[in-house]
Order: sequence, then structure tokens, then C-alpha cells
Amino acid sequence: MTGTREPQQDGSIQAMLSDSGLAAATELRSALEQLRAVVPDAAPAPRADLAALLAAGAVGPAPVLATTTALPTVASAKYAADESLPTRVASLAECRRRKRRLAIVGGAVVGAMTLGAGAVAASSEDFRHSVSETVDVIFQPAGPGTPAPEHVQPSTSPSSVPALPAPARTSGPGTPGAASTDEGTPNSSGTPGSTETGHTPPAVGRGGILPTPGKRPESPGLPGGGRNGDKDLPRVPGSIIPTLPGVVPTKAPGQP
Amino acid sequence: MAQQLSDDELSAALAGDPSGFSAVYAVISPAVLGYFRARGVDDAEALTQDVFVDVLPKLAGVSGGHTGLRTFIFSVAHARLVDYRRRAERTPRLAEYDPLNDARYSASAEDEVLGSLGGISDTLARLNEEQREVLVLRIVADLSIEQVAGIMDKTPGAIKQLQRRGLSALRELVTEKDHAAS
Repeated sequence: MTGTREPQQDGSIQAMLSDSGLAAATELRSALEQLRAVVPDAAPAPRADLAALLAAGAVGPAPVLATTTALPTVASAKYAADESLPTRVASLAECRRRKRRLAIVGGAVVGAMTLGAGAVAASSEDFRHSVSETVDVIFQPAGPGTPAPEHVQPSTSPSSVPALPAPARTSGPGTPGAASTDEGTPNSSGTPGSTETGHTPPAVGRGGILPTPGKRPESPGLPGGGRNGDKDLPRVPGSIIPTLPGVVPTKAPGQP
Repeated sequence: MAQQLSDDELSAALAGDPSGFSAVYAVISPAVLGYFRARGVDDAEALTQDVFVDVLPKLAGVSGGHTGLRTFIFSVAHARLVDYRRRAERTPRLAEYDPLNDARYSASAEDEVLGSLGGISDTLARLNEEQREVLVLRIVADLSIEQVAGIMDKTPGAIKQLQRRGLSALRELVTEKDHAAS
């Protein structure tokens, strides 16, 4: 082992020694050659998984390898058994299977958790009560029951009934006026939308949005104006409402 | 060490083609095995095979030809050795049967004739860890100073310094041993 080194490698040791200023140290040199002799002449026989990896590309089963250790029997059996490519394919399939297994496990965990939550809900009465309460709370505001009475009550009072039509009409003419000025001035693409909103037809024009504005002008009369003239109309209700009660009682007794 | 990788085998291996793997293994694994043995790893062969199982599928990304391949493989081997050392620090020490501690020991004729492996590794074991690593990588793995610097994450100057100190320390140990023997 020691004596058969190539001169080139001895040269590298020599170069290393002279590099470090120890070229004359023969004992050291022999020690280093001894160290280099640790390198075996042949590769160790590959383990099963490594043999599979090597055999994957080997045209012939690399004959250089099997020299040392107790592994050769296993290794040769491995060589005979696998045609290498099948093992690679199998590993890919296993990868895919692992992914699918992950998804299945995830689904099972989620299912088990929902089942558990359902069981808790079924067993405890408090839980059911609180759930029903929360469901009530969630769905109450969406129903038309509560807001509608609020609008109706002010309108049903005798004093306000006559009062409301009047401001609605006073504001009504005010807004069309503004709308008509709008019609005159803008010629750009925005005109169709603005003209329709200004007049009474808007309820027909914008079917989806306008139903709520359509109701509002009847009760307070503000929102109809609020859309077009922001500054003018807030003054109108402020000034009109105090004046109207004074006017209305005189009219109200007269009307019936 | 005697064989070299042919250019075809090298290019096949570096292209990630499995046909080059066995050639790479046949040429480089002895050096890796020697490296682990010189560093006193218990099961050097298993560690060598771990290294190649790890390395071979990743050869496609390696650049730099022969030296690049060697550097890559030995950098993985170095990392494995560091892992091994850390693991060995945590696991209980397995007391191997050491014939030198045996009272019935008598010098083996083969050891005396060939100059035993145990001798040089004992001597090496008395060096500083880094000096030992540099010497083993330089001599056993047959790497250049720049390659060793890349693997150990140091500058070439630092590696040269370590090498010089390691060699002079080794020289002292060897001469001391020779004097003791004679």
C-alpha cells in the first residue's frame, strides 16, 4: 500500500512540506505517507439503498466495487433483484401516495372535530340556548319588523300626516329645479344618470338602488333633497318643520 | 485513487445522469472512506455511504469539473463528520475493545512490519482539531489549499497557517516517538 503511490502524489506531499518550510523532514514525510495509506485502494461495497442508486444508471453492475466488508451478499442480491428503474418509479409513487395520505388525514381530522363540536352541542343545553340566542340576534335586524314601526309611528300621528306631504312637495319642486339646471349644463357621459335621479322617474330608472330612497321622501322629505343639493336642503327642514306645525294645525282642522 | 474519472463519466455525473454515479463512487469513495478513518470515525463505511446517498442525486447542480466535484463531495463529508462528532458527544460512549488496554497484549507482527494505521491516527489525535482536519483534507482527500479553505469556511491564508503549525507539531510528535522507540 505504502510503496505504490504515484510520484505525482508524493510530489504533492513534497510540495506541501516545502510550502511549510519542512522539506528536509524525512520522518514527517514518511508519517504523511502513512496517513495517505489510510485511503483504501477500492471503494467499499455499497449498502442496499446506495446500490439501488448506483444501479439506476449503471449499464453494467460496476465490478470494481465489491471488495471489502461483509456486505457483498446483500449487495449482489440487490443487484439481481432490482432493475433499478422500478425502484425509482416506486419512490415517486410513494411520494404521491404520501401527499394523498396527508390530504386524507387532514379531512379526517376536520371531520372528527366537527363531530366533536356537534356532540358537545347536542349534550349541553346551555350551548343550545346560547346558539339559538345568537342566531336570533343575527337574524333580527335583517327582518323588516322593527324598523318599519319606527317609520310608521311618526307618520300615523295626526299632526305629522298633513305636515309631511307639504315639505315633501316643497322639497320636490326644489330638487327638480336643481335637476333641470343639471340637465342643461352637463353634456358629458354622466348626464343620463343625473337626469334620471333628479326627477320623480328615478324610481323606475334605477330599480335596484332606489326603492329605499323612494320610501324616504314620503316620511321626512330630507333624503330626496340630500342627494342633489346638500347645502340647501338641510336648511329647508330646519326652517320648515317649526313653521309647518304652526301652519298645519290651521289646515288640519280645516281639512276634516 | 489510482483511477481518474473520465471526462464522459464526469460530464454525465454532473448532468445528473445516473450512469456516471457508479464511476464517481468508485473513484472518490475510497478517499472519503480514508478521510473518515483518519478522523477516527467508528463506522467509517456507513458514513461514507451516507455521504454518497446524499450527494449522488444532487450532482446535477455541481459546477467546476473535477475539482468542483471533489470539493462538493468533501464538503458534504466534512459536514457529516461535524454532525457525527456532535451526535457522539451526546450519546453514551461505547467502549470498544482496545487490544492496547488488554493486559495480555503482545505486539502484532503485521503492525510492526507495515507500520500500523493505529500509530499515525494516534499521533494525529494529539493535534489540534483544526490542524488535524486541514492535514487530513490536504493529504487524504488530496485537496488544494483553496478547496480546503472553501470546505472549512476559512481564508486560504488561515489554512496555510494551520497546515504549517499542524505539520510542525506532527513533526515533533513523530521525532519524539522515534526517539522513544529507539
